[in-house]
Amino acid sequence: MATMLAPLRRYTKTAAMAATSYVGDSPLFLADYLLRLVRVLVLLSIWRTILTGRGTVSGMTLGAVLTYTLIGEAFAEQLSVRTELGNALWEGSVATRFLQPMSMVGQFASDMIGRWCFGLCAFSLPLLLLSRLLDVSPQPASPAAGGWFILSLILGTSVGLALEFIFASLAVALEQPIWFIDYVRRAVTTLLSGALVPFALLPEGIGVVFTWLPFASTASAPLRIYTGTGDAVRLLLVQVGWSILLWALARWLWQVSREKLVGFGG
Amino acid sequence: MANGLARALLRILQLWRLYGAMDVIWIARDAKTFITWYITDIVVNGAAVTATLLLAERFSGIGPWAKSQVLFLLGYAVLASGLLDPFCNYNVKYVSRRLGRGQLDHTLIQPQPIWMALLTEGFSPLSGTAALLPGLVLLVWATHALHLSVTPAWIAALLLNLLASAIIILAFSYLWGSLAFWAPRSAEEISSSALRTLDQLKSFPLDGLGLGLLGGLLTVLPVGFVAWYPCRALLGIEQSAYQLFTTPIAAAIISAAAILAFRGGLKQYARTGSQRYLSFGHRR
Repeated sequence: MATMLAPLRRYTKTAAMAATSYVGDSPLFLADYLLRLVRVLVLLSIWRTILTGRGTVSGMTLGAVLTYTLIGEAFAEQLSVRTELGNALWEGSVATRFLQPMSMVGQFASDMIGRWCFGLCAFSLPLLLLSRLLDVSPQPASPAAGGWFILSLILGTSVGLALEFIFASLAVALEQPIWFIDYVRRAVTTLLSGALVPFALLPEGIGVVFTWLPFASTASAPLRIYTGTGDAVRLLLVQVGWSILLWALARWLWQVSREKLVGFGG
Repeated sequence: MANGLARALLRILQLWRLYGAMDVIWIARDAKTFITWYITDIVVNGAAVTATLLLAERFSGIGPWAKSQVLFLLGYAVLASGLLDPFCNYNVKYVSRRLGRGQLDHTLIQPQPIWMALLTEGFSPLSGTAALLPGLVLLVWATHALHLSVTPAWIAALLLNLLASAIIILAFSYLWGSLAFWAPRSAEEISSSALRTLDQLKSFPLDGLGLGLLGGLLTVLPVGFVAWYPCRALLGIEQSAYQLFTTPIAAAIISAAAILAFRGGLKQYARTGSQRYLSFGHRR
């Protein structure tokens, strides 16, 4: 039994180290959470300004949009997957990652999950507890929607992780700085993932096109399921499809770019 | 006094020529690099305001703002941020990165004062201009659609407010970024967080916000001055003429606070130095 659990222990230890790394220097990381809180307050106010008195817009009520925004911010890290892969490539520390007796994806994923644990406790939970004060319902559209949301969040994370490896591989293959690729990715995916603005509120046609892109599977799909504004089964199937396709692509790109990694980084 | 000022100005021009030449050599080293970086920058800057643009299109405006007024706001917002890029590239804008990585030492050994080094090191007249184009297009388009009466006085007010907004963005980055003097590791990316928040919120009209939140967005987190407030004044939504000077006054106050914070940080740096410095310019 102990032998079977040994590999798991490596990953949980990595996650624990990542979770505790936040408090190693100073409590300034809290400033980042403060900025996120302000952002969600502003977005909630903006939606109220735009949608009050309009009734249901493309199947979304004001309440659903507010819940969408609140949950989008509470689970922002899960809906916009980022690992330390970019930093590791940039700093050159990826070389030591290859020496560790753990899979590459597993290392970065457990590190990421460890960071999530801290963020969930320090920001997401307090935000959800504050929701009544903000006059926003934090509850899913139905208990079933809540259940499907968890599954969708896992699938979204899988798609996000695959995208993370694809973009990192592209940075290596195209010999571009990792921060440059990340800069482009961050700008484009904020809109295309549906994390900031629900697709239903975009001009007709544009939102429909965005729904079918892989980025939508990372944020829009789980949030639509949570708020009951999308067909859960169809959205989950699309997520499964993208997950399979993107992991195949990520695996291939990673393999062909791997040799170039040696000379990459600071 | 005048002699010293003239010498400083001459030195700044010499350094701008030097850094400008290096920027041109870097970005124009081949067509592929130039096209990739330039087009990407235009796309990224366009993407930052696309969500608001699409919302304005869908709902024929946002709150009390008509679609063309939102367009003006977006053009102004892109231009205000874009004005910094040709002067504050290479992490001069994201000062917490330089401080957090121990790279201030590189600036301190330069044969010029820190302010002059920071004013010139980020000069990138070619690679930093990509944001100006979409901003200008949006602004001109909206000005035309709104049938604004463009007088020399209005243009002067526009330029003054644009400059003030750009200064506010930079000062805000330095105000937060100075924390990296005290906590180089955890505050290394604090300028990016601060600027990202401004970037994400700058393109929204803030009219519907409660007084408390709005007050915060015009003081502690001055996103209201990046575009919303000056645009209200320039578009005549705010009736009194003195409103045109509110953003420049705010710029002066926030800059003073940023200078104080940075100087305080420098005193701390003089005592402790940086534990993160490595000779090849990267952090530990």
